[in-house]
Amino acid sequence: MSTLIKFTKHFISPMRSVRSWVIPLLLLALWQYSSSQNAGHAYAFVPLQNVYNAFIELLKTGELLVNTWGSLKKALLGFIFGGAAGLALGAFMAYSKIANALISPIFNAIRQVPLLGLTPLIALWLGNGESAKIFIIALASFYPLVINTYQGLSHHESKYQELANMYQFSGWREFRRIRLPQALPYILTGINLAVPFTWITTTASELLFNAGAGLGGVMMKAEANAAMDILLVCALTVTLLGIVMTALVRALSTHLLRWRPRHAA
Amino acid sequence: MKTLSKTADAELTVGGFSWRSADLFKKINVYWLLSCASPLILFFAWYTACRLQLFSAQILVPPEKVWLSFLNLLQTGELYLHLKDSLLRLFSGFTVGAAAAIAFGIVYATNRHVKDYFSLIFNVLYQIPIFVLIPIFILIFGIGETFKILLIIKACFFPVALATIDAVEGVPKQYMELSQIYQLKLKNRVKYIILPSVIPPLISSLRIALGRAWLILVAVELLAAGTGIGQMMELGRQILRLDVVMVGVFITGMIGFILDKILRQVEQRFVQYKHQ
Repeated sequence: MSTLIKFTKHFISPMRSVRSWVIPLLLLALWQYSSSQNAGHAYAFVPLQNVYNAFIELLKTGELLVNTWGSLKKALLGFIFGGAAGLALGAFMAYSKIANALISPIFNAIRQVPLLGLTPLIALWLGNGESAKIFIIALASFYPLVINTYQGLSHHESKYQELANMYQFSGWREFRRIRLPQALPYILTGINLAVPFTWITTTASELLFNAGAGLGGVMMKAEANAAMDILLVCALTVTLLGIVMTALVRALSTHLLRWRPRHAA
Repeated sequence: MKTLSKTADAELTVGGFSWRSADLFKKINVYWLLSCASPLILFFAWYTACRLQLFSAQILVPPEKVWLSFLNLLQTGELYLHLKDSLLRLFSGFTVGAAAAIAFGIVYATNRHVKDYFSLIFNVLYQIPIFVLIPIFILIFGIGETFKILLIIKACFFPVALATIDAVEGVPKQYMELSQIYQLKLKNRVKYIILPSVIPPLISSLRIALGRAWLILVAVELLAAGTGIGQMMELGRQILRLDVVMVGVFITGMIGFILDKILRQVEQRFVQYKHQ
């Protein structure tokens, strides 16, 4: 999977080739053409200049910034809560075999339910305000981090373990010097999986309960008003932010893992 | 003699674990018992919490009520109706999406021109988060079946297409050259070289795609549908029937689990195929 989101391979190199621009430009031209054609579909295929105007308009009124910030704040809070809880539970399960035996069957059973399938249940428990949304977003970060932290901390090579025993490392020192460096690649994999998943869950949760500031709420309102231009502006914002986040986390993890031999990453 | 022992080995490790009785006894220990007990403990806690009325009925319904409402939904045929519609959407979208993705992936990976023309648009469309498309598709196609199935197709197409491209490009070059030297027939080339290296990653991607499609279908049905398991839950929420919502949560979980399990079994079989 790691080869799939290589930014340069998939974006920079195709952009250099003239041929790869043919189809996107053709599609845009077709879109523009159908927007001028019949009035029946004019609400769906809006002219491209309208999208640009809507973008400027949303930027001027501050609507875009407020709602983008609303979405980002929820995603960040969910990521912090869910990520921290995931790290804690994963570590707990890795260190205590009893906890692992007790928790893992329940964890795996709950994980089978599609995340957004839990929304009606959570809505009944927590209402449909911000806390319900943040709970679902937190779950999106929680799952991958539990799994990867557990794997990282419970998988250890015996030679390092023997070394720690020989030097009579204390528990903390053993964790700091041996377990953590071994677990770090796994945890970072978990974060790499969690970030895009958290971001799409943020959008989805805003679509499902459209109250409060957030890009998803704006999109649902635009859909009700048949305002395709606003919809496209929001869609582009969500997509671009997702790409930027994924790239940032990827860069951060390669930076943190720079001590490792290249082939392992 | 050699082949005989090979098949015996394969039989023992079907599904990733062996069935020899000694191993079975080795597995039964304290931790194994604990992990069997924990769901029971949880269930008992749920039951007693309801008995003691620790929470209001709107927060926690007793398990027997969930069971009764499951039976009721089963008898009235309501559950069957919702499930049929959901699964029909899932499989029609999955079949079309996966088939198109495999065809596209093979052409993309083998034809230089197709790759040149499609690389940018393919990668741009791949990056669009699927949930962003929900309101856009509703606006263009309305809230009928078309938009749901199109979303499932989008959800399945990209993971399968990417895996197909990677797999086809990853067919070992030296084997292909060798087959040319030996002038292997096309049929044999496909059978012995191409399929063994392409099928395992393809099956994994199908499993991932199906899981993702199920997640998205449930969300879409929560949002806009007349029928379907997601719609059943959404209606249950609106009329504050927690028991119906719980039934829905169990069913979606079970279906996700079963679909995953089936494709995992297929995956295991083909991993062995690769080793042969």
